[in-house]
Amino acid sequence: MRPPGRQNTALSVLRIGFLGAVLVFVIFPLVWLAIASLKTRAAALAVPPTVIFTPDFAAYEKIVASGLLDAFLNSFTIAITNVLLSLLIGVPAAYALARMRGALQENLSFWVLSIRLAPLFAVILPLYVLFQQLGLLDTRLAVSLAHLTLTLPLSVWLLMTYFRAMPLDLDEAAMLDGAKPWQTLLMVIVPVARPMIASVAVIVFIFSWNEFLLAFFLTSRDAQTVPVVVAGLAGTMSFDWPLIAAISICSMIPALIFVGFAQRHIVEGLASGAVK
Amino acid sequence: MTLDWRFWFLIPMIMALATVILFPTAYLFWMSTQHWLVTDPDRYFAGLDNFLRLLGGSDFWQALRVTGAYLALSTILMLGLGMGLALTFARAGSGVMRAIVVMPLVIPPVVAGFTWRFLLNGEIGFIGAFLLPMTGLDVNLLAEPRAALVSVVIADVWSRTPFMFLIFLAALQSIPRDYYEAARMDGANPFHEFFFVTLPMLRGALFVAVLFRLVDAINTFELIFVMTRGGPGRATQILSIFGWRTAFQELDFGQAAALGVVMLAICLTAAMLVFRQFVKGDPGTTGT
Repeated sequence: MRPPGRQNTALSVLRIGFLGAVLVFVIFPLVWLAIASLKTRAAALAVPPTVIFTPDFAAYEKIVASGLLDAFLNSFTIAITNVLLSLLIGVPAAYALARMRGALQENLSFWVLSIRLAPLFAVILPLYVLFQQLGLLDTRLAVSLAHLTLTLPLSVWLLMTYFRAMPLDLDEAAMLDGAKPWQTLLMVIVPVARPMIASVAVIVFIFSWNEFLLAFFLTSRDAQTVPVVVAGLAGTMSFDWPLIAAISICSMIPALIFVGFAQRHIVEGLASGAVK
Repeated sequence: MTLDWRFWFLIPMIMALATVILFPTAYLFWMSTQHWLVTDPDRYFAGLDNFLRLLGGSDFWQALRVTGAYLALSTILMLGLGMGLALTFARAGSGVMRAIVVMPLVIPPVVAGFTWRFLLNGEIGFIGAFLLPMTGLDVNLLAEPRAALVSVVIADVWSRTPFMFLIFLAALQSIPRDYYEAARMDGANPFHEFFFVTLPMLRGALFVAVLFRLVDAINTFELIFVMTRGGPGRATQILSIFGWRTAFQELDFGQAAALGVVMLAICLTAAMLVFRQFVKGDPGTTGT
């Protein structure tokens, strides 16, 4: 549907109505959650809901007081470790794949992509047993290594697509100056591709930060991430709704930063993983 | 020159993926042939026993039915909504609006599940206990089997539709404008344009979207875990929740591994069917 010669009024009214409804559907739950996090426990549970109330920051204070900040520290450490590993391993591999031709390249990149189509549940039990044998269960290292199942193929795929679109002249000029491949990569390719590498880092960080299944199976107490803690609190008998709401709001911080920072670039990256 | 530099650049990735994916997958197949109860120190080769018990019990078939219903309902809603959004944004809507629409995609699914549970709860939820009773409907959304399944689907639609939207938007933007101009010259109205130009050109993107939906539905866990834990009864117990029950409640690692093999087989079969369609059809629209 491309810009029309004539405006179709009925269609544009429909479009505005549809968009409005979707925006309400998307935003309302988040607003409601934010409001709940500022209510007292009794007020959050009142039916009909209390509309006028004085904001109460007790839930946020409780996050600090009850040691739940540890979960944020865990999530942060795991995500950062995972970003570093994904880029350290992913950038050279993506560059090599981008500068390869023929059947081997096609098979390798198809294999990398197809990992995205396998069910996570298939690797969880073996990873659990593996980390148990290594004595790594309930450690941050285990979770950030396990997250490579998701983030390494993703970053290789995104970077490979990007590197391949870069002109070969850059490589050739560097080679003529006598640069070795790793020098070309570090001194020519990486500086030029910096915006894309930054976007991939953000995407990988968010993937790792949000991931639940692996973190849930591989941790029990010390290394629990924020999503695991949220699920744990939501499973207890005495719900502290405002507290869970407050943690949920805090857990969205990376996502909100993402919306502000380089949104367009990253959105295209997320989509291209599927489309290109 | 014996080994190309590219080989050295690829080695770390291959080793990492072998450790976290290839080896675990191979190990899964081996586990699925073992009598492996966490509570029982005796571990021995059991042949196909795990698969026979899995396929012989009613839990597996129930979970498969729930997964099928969940997949069908969520696919219809997400494809429709994602397509509607992509068509809307191809002509109107600002960058800010697009950012808002995409936002749920980057919010932890566990938070999406909690938020919707909070909204739909039958005693304290704004929708479940306040709006719904006002309409005269007397349903406890999360406690009644059918309503609970619809509820978790709605939360998933909220969380994952942006992904469908992005796939369709990228595909829409790759359709040449000339096609629409040609159609308009032939007297096509917007509906003709959609059904005879847009939809055929989106064929590839549709296949990709459905494939990703299938894999995502198989991988969905925390959303349902937080909202209903698979209940009431087994009404929302999809395969992954059933797998968690088998492994960490019944502590039957052997049978859970057999379930993992079955889930892997489902995904691979679906992927193969979709790729075969790709080879047959015109792949141009997705730029494969």
